[in-house]
Amino acid sequence: MFETILYGFTIGAVLYLFSIGLSLTFGTMHIINFAHALVYTLGVYSFIGFRDALSLGFVPAMLIAVVAMVPLAWAIERFVIRRLYGERLDYAIIATYALLLIGTDLIKVVFGTLPQSINVPIHVSVNVAGVGISLYRIIIVLVAVLIFLGLRQFFRKTVVGQIVVAALEDNEGVRCLGINISTYFSIVFVIGSALAIIGGILYAPISTAEPYMGMHILLLAFSVVIVGGMGSLTGTFYASFALGMLMALVGRFWAGGANAAVFLTMALVIIYRHTIKPRLHRR
Amino acid sequence: MCTGGGGLAVIEVRDVSMGYNQALVLHDICLKVKQGEQVFIVGRNGAGKTSLLKTLAGLLKPHSGTVTFDGHDITGMPAEKVARRGLHFVAQDKVVFSSLSVRNNIALAAHAMKIDIDSAIRKAVEIYPKLEEFMELNAGNLSGGQREILLIGRAMIGDPKLLLIDEPTEGLAAKVIDDIFRILTSIKGTTSTIIVEQNLSVVTSLADRIYVMKEGKIIKEFDNKHACIEAAELEVYL
Ligand SMILES: Nc1ncnc2c1ncn2[C@@H]1O[C@H](COP(=O)(O)OP(=O)(O)OP(=O)(O)O)[C@@H](O)[C@H]1O
Ligand SMILES: [Mg+2]
Repeated sequence: MFETILYGFTIGAVLYLFSIGLSLTFGTMHIINFAHALVYTLGVYSFIGFRDALSLGFVPAMLIAVVAMVPLAWAIERFVIRRLYGERLDYAIIATYALLLIGTDLIKVVFGTLPQSINVPIHVSVNVAGVGISLYRIIIVLVAVLIFLGLRQFFRKTVVGQIVVAALEDNEGVRCLGINISTYFSIVFVIGSALAIIGGILYAPISTAEPYMGMHILLLAFSVVIVGGMGSLTGTFYASFALGMLMALVGRFWAGGANAAVFLTMALVIIYRHTIKPRLHRR
Repeated sequence: MCTGGGGLAVIEVRDVSMGYNQALVLHDICLKVKQGEQVFIVGRNGAGKTSLLKTLAGLLKPHSGTVTFDGHDITGMPAEKVARRGLHFVAQDKVVFSSLSVRNNIALAAHAMKIDIDSAIRKAVEIYPKLEEFMELNAGNLSGGQREILLIGRAMIGDPKLLLIDEPTEGLAAKVIDDIFRILTSIKGTTSTIIVEQNLSVVTSLADRIYVMKEGKIIKEFDNKHACIEAAELEVYL
């Protein structure tokens, strides 16, 4: 049981790292960004590339992979996402999905379709109440929590963060102050991409690195973003861990039901928000 | 075509038409605000008042016509550039940055205008001294009237050459309307303004000039320099 709970936290942590970017892009620009999954997958493959080409350790290879992907993330925002800004929702879905498909095929051409092996960098297990649990998983959870706390400070204390928070609420209000929000959206987009890559690399050793890894997590992350409230920074955090835990618990008893439980929760939340809650308020 | 010639105008709007889709909601709008003038726009719900202000503020693009502000053509210029040139806009919905403190609401405006925060806060407090008490509060906790005052205070930062305010007294209690009235009075003569307002007693006591809008057109213009227009005279056109 202990292990199941830790597994739930681990999944939650990875979901959180992936979902922030998705949630912020939706909250600020009203764009559903399928290409987020591509950045995530490419990040993991570039990690593998740097690790092998330069014989680097886990952490240096991760940092280089994140930095190397920044220009790509920036370019996606600048040349694809920004053009879709203010357009219909489905244009953005089509364009970013196309990007994801093209990118995934490129990965298949370069690296092949077979799963890549990434070793768990830390093999220590910690003894908690007589049960040995993996230190590496605990580290993943801690990284996510630290990033959550760091982001909270960033959005509360820095001018850039406050501008983004303000834009999440009243985009036009920010523009009418004379602030060019697209600059700040680029920054947020790059941060979101970097965090997703960190999540992907941390998760890869305990899952499988393969060309479709981003697509799998993308669908779960959509549920996180919907359950947590699109553009809600704290909501995304709690929803990630709640759904991660749900997956772990359901998966323990019925492996095939883990994903379904997440989608069912999402459906219930949508039904609640759009059908039940408005009726309760009307009374 | 617009009538009347040049003269020293802060803003000059010539034959502006605008629509959200195919259908136009603004038809050949012409208006002009002179330096220091307080101009009011009245009109029924759906007349196009908000659409007009948003077009001037750069949030909507006109289909045709020109907007000249401070001697420069700003037609179709995006809102952030328009704001940086000194045309500030207070929207109708009284939406503040509710998860930021009042201080940080003002600080963002100061940042945008490249002014130091302390003098920006002094400026806002000057407009409405009670704002001082609310500085550390989340702006989301303010009442409707306090929000409107914060929005006007925020928009005054950087000394705009023209301030647009959309229905400042809408939905407010009489006592708060008095506060807003005082604020509008205090900026009259120094800051050029265009104010959309439904409260006709506010309009007739403050306006230098009044435009009446109906179905996307300006149908009447009143000179009210001597506060000689009665609310009843306006009512006929609404
Ligand atoms: N975002 C929009 N998309 C399409 N049509 C719109 C939009 N906003 C306003 N309209 C239409 O444009 C017309 C003018 O609306 P506008 O909000 O400018 O009127 P208003 O004079 O400000 O009204 P009110 O007194 O209610 O604020 C209306 O017919 C309205 O339905
Ligand atoms: Mg309006």
